[in-house]
Amino acid sequence: MRIWPVAQGVAWRTLKIVLTTPSLFFPSLLFPLFFFTAFAGGLSQVSHVPGFNYPPGYTTFQFVFVLLQSAAFGGVFTGFGVARDFETGFARRLLLASPNRSGIVLGYGLAALARWAITATMLTMIALIAGLNIGGNGVDVFGLYLLAVLVNMAGFLWSCGIGMRLRTIQAGPLMQMPVFLTLFFAPVYVPLELLQGWIHAVARANPVTYVLATGRGFLAGDPPHVALAFGLAVGSAAVLALWAFRGLRNAEAAG
Amino acid sequence: MVNADSSLADNSIVVEGLVRDFKTLRAVDGIDLHVDGGEIYGFLGPNGAGKSTTVLMLTTLLPPSSGTARVAGFDVVHDGPKVRASIGAALQEAALDPLLTGRDHLRLQATLQGIPRGDRSTRTSELLERVGLSDAADRKVKGYSGGMKRRLDLALALVHRPRIIFLDEPTTGLDIQSRMALWTEVARLAKEDGVTIFLTTQYLEEADVLADRVGIIDQGKIVAEGTPAELKDEIGRPSVHATPLRAEETQRVTKVLARFGDPVPGAVRDIAVRLRDGTSGLADVVRALDNEGLIVANLELQQPTLDDVFLAKTGRSLEGAGGEEEPDSVSPPRKGRRR
Repeated sequence: MRIWPVAQGVAWRTLKIVLTTPSLFFPSLLFPLFFFTAFAGGLSQVSHVPGFNYPPGYTTFQFVFVLLQSAAFGGVFTGFGVARDFETGFARRLLLASPNRSGIVLGYGLAALARWAITATMLTMIALIAGLNIGGNGVDVFGLYLLAVLVNMAGFLWSCGIGMRLRTIQAGPLMQMPVFLTLFFAPVYVPLELLQGWIHAVARANPVTYVLATGRGFLAGDPPHVALAFGLAVGSAAVLALWAFRGLRNAEAAG
Repeated sequence: MVNADSSLADNSIVVEGLVRDFKTLRAVDGIDLHVDGGEIYGFLGPNGAGKSTTVLMLTTLLPPSSGTARVAGFDVVHDGPKVRASIGAALQEAALDPLLTGRDHLRLQATLQGIPRGDRSTRTSELLERVGLSDAADRKVKGYSGGMKRRLDLALALVHRPRIIFLDEPTTGLDIQSRMALWTEVARLAKEDGVTIFLTTQYLEEADVLADRVGIIDQGKIVAEGTPAELKDEIGRPSVHATPLRAEETQRVTKVLARFGDPVPGAVRDIAVRLRDGTSGLADVVRALDNEGLIVANLELQQPTLDDVFLAKTGRSLEGAGGEEEPDSVSPPRKGRRR
């Protein structure tokens, strides 16, 4: 049984709901813009701290974080939709009408990606207006957005797995909180080298630190540990894909 | 896409020893069923009897705890995708998205079922017309009435021309006109399109009017099965229902009627007995009441109903067993019950 028609249908319906419901669409679009404005504008003096060495500047430094953050939360917000569909019973229609149910997860995933693509486009345009410096070449820029896509998928697959296991929108904090903590225990405001004490130890152990550093490196034209960053991103997405599909099996068994 | 036109297609439902446990509760307790292609099978029982759980298992929404079920020739556990491609279902709670329009729902369903893009629009318009929702097609479902949602749900079940349709209490909560319209459509589907219909209901009239065969389920077990006529023939004897004109004569009327048969449940002011001598006993009842000088406001002979069958098999009335009142009764269009 073909997976694509199911994925196409689920993605179309999810996007239609998000794009025609302002209460769903605008928060995921406006929060990253707000964070970018607040971090890049309000904290720009951080770039004068001794040891802060990022040639493209603080706006670009923060842009990469906000881009990856928007990617992660774009995925998580789509997971909220999964949980809502189970809570309202609409997921039962999808399970019943989909010959190949794996397409349901794929469809939600495509919707998460498309939804984030809109946010990323807006964010990039505003960042360019605000003085985003791109030191890297086209391949570097592609690398940054590819990393963000993987982060988006990882965020979605995590929350999708939760949504399909708990099947209630009350699972929202459980989807959001680990992602929030993982992102903010990375070097958000200053490079890793400037962190001290326990936060430095935590950031060093946090895989997002390496993804973030590589992303920032892409825009500086000198990306560090690219293989590690992509390995972590692809590995997380692969493990979380397993998590999400097992969540689907869990939902199927529950009826 | 599965098409009902194929005469070689297996449209049957075959169930053997199907069981579903929920922790300490056994909701379905080893049922066996055989529904032939093109048949309307009425699955009758009170709330909590196991009807919906059975439908969930047959539509692959719930795995059985044990037993086997083949739908359209495919095993519900091992061939789930093929089963889903062969069936349509309108479940008890119409799973609709309030933010989508009726047309959006049909478009989504057509896409999920893999109907080619070029055919989706035609099929959608055709079904909207068929269920009388063309004018409301572009309105969001949150503004639909209960009857409109049920009709949309039925249209969704038909999108890919399934060979078998499951309807789980499709008329619950509908007004009389909507119920009649849905009955007409269901009967047409079976007669003209050769679709097998598995219909669960709490409404006796619905099973009586629509079903070729009826299975009665109680506490997870099938307690009776056959055509409505066969099941009622098992009971055999009609009942007489008398309504005393004066309430103080109720006891005396009860004593007179008790001479002619065993008591059966009746309406609030009715006294009812199953006649030992069948229809011929009615004249004796009239004479006995007259001899005692008792006047009745109403005297009625009732043929056995499916509720009588349920009562005979379980010792309880189906109409009272579910704890819910029957909605306004609808007179069956093709079979009279009273005379």
